[in-house]
Amino acid sequence: MTLEIGTVTLGIDKIAEQLSGAFAGELDDVRVQEPDTVVARLERTKLKDVARRLKELPELAYETLNWIAGVDLGSQLESVYHVYSWHTNTYLELHVAVPRAKAELDTVTDVWPAADWHERESWDMVGIRYLGHPDLRRILLKDDFVGHPLRKDYVDLAENHPHA
Amino acid sequence: MGLSDMVPDRLKVGYPKLEDFHDPNVITTTADFIFSWARSNSVFPFTYGLACCAIEMLSSGFARFDVARYGMEVFRPTPRQSDLMIVAGTVNEKMAPVLKRLYDQMAEPKWVVSMGACATSGGPFYDGYNVVNGVDKVVPVDVYIPGCPPRPEALFQGLLELQTKIKQHSFAPKLPGAQDG
Repeated sequence: MTLEIGTVTLGIDKIAEQLSGAFAGELDDVRVQEPDTVVARLERTKLKDVARRLKELPELAYETLNWIAGVDLGSQLESVYHVYSWHTNTYLELHVAVPRAKAELDTVTDVWPAADWHERESWDMVGIRYLGHPDLRRILLKDDFVGHPLRKDYVDLAENHPHA
Repeated sequence: MGLSDMVPDRLKVGYPKLEDFHDPNVITTTADFIFSWARSNSVFPFTYGLACCAIEMLSSGFARFDVARYGMEVFRPTPRQSDLMIVAGTVNEKMAPVLKRLYDQMAEPKWVVSMGACATSGGPFYDGYNVVNGVDKVVPVDVYIPGCPPRPEALFQGLLELQTKIKQHSFAPKLPGAQDG
């Protein structure tokens, strides 16, 4: 089966409209940020369900996960999902807020397998625990590293510098 | 003042000239000279590029700059066949044990050149959460090359200094209390 990129030409405003219609009460703040990108907010409890349905949407079909970013906003953490639809050749950016005190979130590896290493990186750097991830280990830093260095409240520890 | 200026005059030995090679066909020299001369002109560097310095290191291997002029063009991908480890880039805490292990696997005699600000002191990443502030915390370093990254010419100067250092090597056992030289 060949896949032709961008065969569905809806226009980005129409796509944003369809999304806020199909996910009313789930996607908040749906807005067009760039000519090919729709941005939306999402509650963390609804993440997995919405992700699965986004992938299976008939025309939009966000089948590809480009990346996940862990962000520390100070008051809270955030996990940002950047997904792509081959059919419309557009992107969707999902911002999921994660509370600092309980930084836990459902994994989306079973929806988009590409999430595996990105969730590991986000866990490694920002310390968001992705529940249900098949192998949530550190990916960039060494295994015995203490803390999550890209958190704003991270303090450089002597034990992380054995060669100092 | 470079390292070469610090070599005492009595250790500066001239190369045999080509016109001296005819009859009688014998050269007399010292073991110190002939071994060090041979070693210093066929140094096999270990391809140890860690960051952007590696790009300069690689470009010095190709025709435009051409490290082959100093007999150091045979970059080896294995420590077993290398004499010289050019640490080109930032060493982080996860890489440091690996670097140490590869250094230990190199056969004697071996030398280490710390190329660029990162390998020398941590450079712009000095305060980094996972950065080793200088490769000399992990392995002994013979020559430091400043720069961020150093140009190939700077690398060559460092390698020439290293050649000078290799040429100073003496096989005579050091006596206790003897002057270094």
